[in-house]
Amino acid sequence: MLLNRDDWYETSRDLDWTFSYVDPNEVFPASWSGAGDVPADAWQDWEEPFRVSYRDYVRIQREKEGGVKAVGNALSRAGVFEKLDPAHLASAHLHLGGTCMVEQMAITMQSRFCRFAPTPKWRNLGVFGMLDETRHAQLDLRFAHELLKVDPRFDWTLKAFHTNEWGIRAVKAFFDDIMLNADCVEAALAVSLTVEHGFTNMQFVALAADAMAAGDINWSNLLSSIQTDEARHAQQGFPTLAVLMEHDPERAQQAIDVAFWRSTRLFQTLTGPAMDYYTPLEQRKMSFKEFMLEWIVNHHERILEDYGLKKPWYWDDFLRSLETAHHSMHLGMWWYRPTLFFKPNAGVSPAEREWLREKYPTWERDFGYIWDQIIANVQAGDVPATLPETLPVLCNVTHLPIGGACAPHELAEHKSEYKGKVYRFDSHISKWCFDVDPERYADHPTVVDRFLAGDIQPMDLPGALAWMGITPDVMGDDVYDYAWAREYVNA
Amino acid sequence: MTELASRSRRRGLKTWSAFGDLGRRPSDYEIVTHHMNHTTRPGEQPLEMGPHVRGNVWLRTHRDGMRLVVPDWDAFRDPDAVTYSTYVTAQDDQETYVEGLLERFDEAGHDEGLSDSALGLLRRVLAPSRFLAHGLQMLSSYVQQLAPSSYVGNCATFQTADQLRRVQLAAYRTTQLRLTRGTEMTEPGERWYWENDPAWQPIRKAVERALLEFDWDRAFVVTNLVTKPLTDLITVERLGAQAEAVGAPLDALILQNLYLDCRRSRRWTFALVSFLVAADPGNRAVLQEHLDSFGELARGVLDAAGRLLEVSGGQPPQAIVDTVRSAWCDMLAPHGLTAPRG
Ligand SMILES: [Fe+2]
Ligand SMILES: [Fe+2]
Repeated sequence: MLLNRDDWYETSRDLDWTFSYVDPNEVFPASWSGAGDVPADAWQDWEEPFRVSYRDYVRIQREKEGGVKAVGNALSRAGVFEKLDPAHLASAHLHLGGTCMVEQMAITMQSRFCRFAPTPKWRNLGVFGMLDETRHAQLDLRFAHELLKVDPRFDWTLKAFHTNEWGIRAVKAFFDDIMLNADCVEAALAVSLTVEHGFTNMQFVALAADAMAAGDINWSNLLSSIQTDEARHAQQGFPTLAVLMEHDPERAQQAIDVAFWRSTRLFQTLTGPAMDYYTPLEQRKMSFKEFMLEWIVNHHERILEDYGLKKPWYWDDFLRSLETAHHSMHLGMWWYRPTLFFKPNAGVSPAEREWLREKYPTWERDFGYIWDQIIANVQAGDVPATLPETLPVLCNVTHLPIGGACAPHELAEHKSEYKGKVYRFDSHISKWCFDVDPERYADHPTVVDRFLAGDIQPMDLPGALAWMGITPDVMGDDVYDYAWAREYVNA
Repeated sequence: MTELASRSRRRGLKTWSAFGDLGRRPSDYEIVTHHMNHTTRPGEQPLEMGPHVRGNVWLRTHRDGMRLVVPDWDAFRDPDAVTYSTYVTAQDDQETYVEGLLERFDEAGHDEGLSDSALGLLRRVLAPSRFLAHGLQMLSSYVQQLAPSSYVGNCATFQTADQLRRVQLAAYRTTQLRLTRGTEMTEPGERWYWENDPAWQPIRKAVERALLEFDWDRAFVVTNLVTKPLTDLITVERLGAQAEAVGAPLDALILQNLYLDCRRSRRWTFALVSFLVAADPGNRAVLQEHLDSFGELARGVLDAAGRLLEVSGGQPPQAIVDTVRSAWCDMLAPHGLTAPRG
């Protein structure tokens, strides 16, 4: 008879020993473990929220791999891809370019847990995390590689993080920080708990639903399969938060508040436009705001309450930003479309605009007139007037364009001086992130800082595009070739 | 829409542009492994942050400052071409096999029938080996996190996972033996042996010292050329042989199975050594110098191997030491490396 997992599991995590040949503080330096002021024996209370044996893991995951492959085989024969709406493809390009390398980076974050986490229980869980993230990176790569023959933009699944493309650089700045620069405790709070358990949950669930509706069953299936792993390993954040709430609650509050805001800004860039503009109208399930309210706001409020944390001080501003910030971001991204590696959909045809008005009562007032001007220019045959000539100012914390983070067309300047240099921010909240921990962001120039410093030559838009790695075969343009704008002619 | 799709089809790519001119179709393994380390861009900080943050200082010091010279880290290939998919498939098969062993030998009363000397060997060596495996797990994960290429990093990921497999199988056997043999097994306990048995101490010392090697090349050498191959030989391969000799066939078979993981690790390790030696004429000397600096640790581990595995009816201590030493030298020799004199 075989033993039950729980018969032997305790022994498999009884792995602490007393170091006597070297100093344990050097083996587990606080700079990587993040143990800080938490007393060493407090980590005994760290209890993993799920148990899995290696034996069960490889069996279950092998089955999952088989499932994804089976659907993939059936669908590649069916030539489904060619039938997909091109606007929907933009979501796939954006998602793969923006997150595939993040999956690979997450292997290293989990590996950091394996090596430096302050308790062997957590170090063991990191192993499954390493494997999961290897899976996600490889599924994305395999999927995208299949599609290279029909669309070179899928090359950016692998290429994006090796370029200086501004949006990718913003993603990289965030994840390099919280995954690869963070100590174990901060990574658990910022990534496992805030990003994986909250935001990627939404990203994957929402994108999977939209992809299914768009007929992209292969993609939808892959996203859902990845999400089942995320839902499991994201739970590593909870026991860490529990220990911290006992011994260092202020650190937990600040780490989560910073990560929550930075995640919000990033998902307003990655997910907001994909959900409210790129997904074909008839296939939209929920608006980005509705998804945020249901999946992020409720969820985050519940966690904060369960663990005795306060709502972030900026909570009301955050809620207000859900009405407008991703619309500003979308407008900016579409305007700067030559700087993107995919073709964005403007998503403001008369019918789509109707939908936006219904979902966002202030949309017409805040953004309608700008799009009207763009439409007028397109109709007058003056597309160049809808294209950028300069680069936007970028935030020194989020590396996203300044303007519109909290209110549309916000003009207030947010800046701080630190060690003789001036830093600019997209909001008073990003400024706060900087002010509480300036060393983290200091001396890290934005694309525009580098442009102004002369790092990018020639100093014009083509020079910047070349520096960003944008080649003609991927350079963004309106995905429907402005057909939506011409629909207004007879209106 | 159809027009759009067909227009873009003409501009399609055969494979990742990152392969450059590969001259052949890349394998599935290469497609999902290639060029997935974004922190080694020439002229840029490793991480997209300021130069003074901890992560950048660490990577510049411990990875980019190493003395190995490699023009193209992404040219390395794992001879087993392991991907996530092939890993979980292969390991599921191995675990199914081991599960079958556990079931079969449990029904046959394997543990009830163990002689005192066989039980002693398992209590003293097999059970405490989970601490060693945990040490190797930490060491392997460090090799992953500073690896300059995803081809190397992914090998280390699977090696890390192998160690957890070993931890859990050791815990499983320990629990079984405790249930059937009671205090014969629980006293003085695995941790006591690991921390106090003189024959274990050189191994524990090697693991603890290895955990302080933060430069990537030194971490790779102390982990994959010294501590892991030596302790794999002693506590997996030779322990299995001893278990077989004293009538513990279940453990002999489990260890033989675990040794397959050790051999896979050794294949990529020495493929990498070969790759490094070919990449630059100076690399061999760098590796040898690192090896030599761990000579004393290695000699301690080797010398204690006989005492650790000594059991009546098994291979005699000196023969064990000789077997392990020559097996280790045989791994190094083809690459022009010699076991350190210590
Ligand atoms: Fe993931
Ligand atoms: Fe994850």
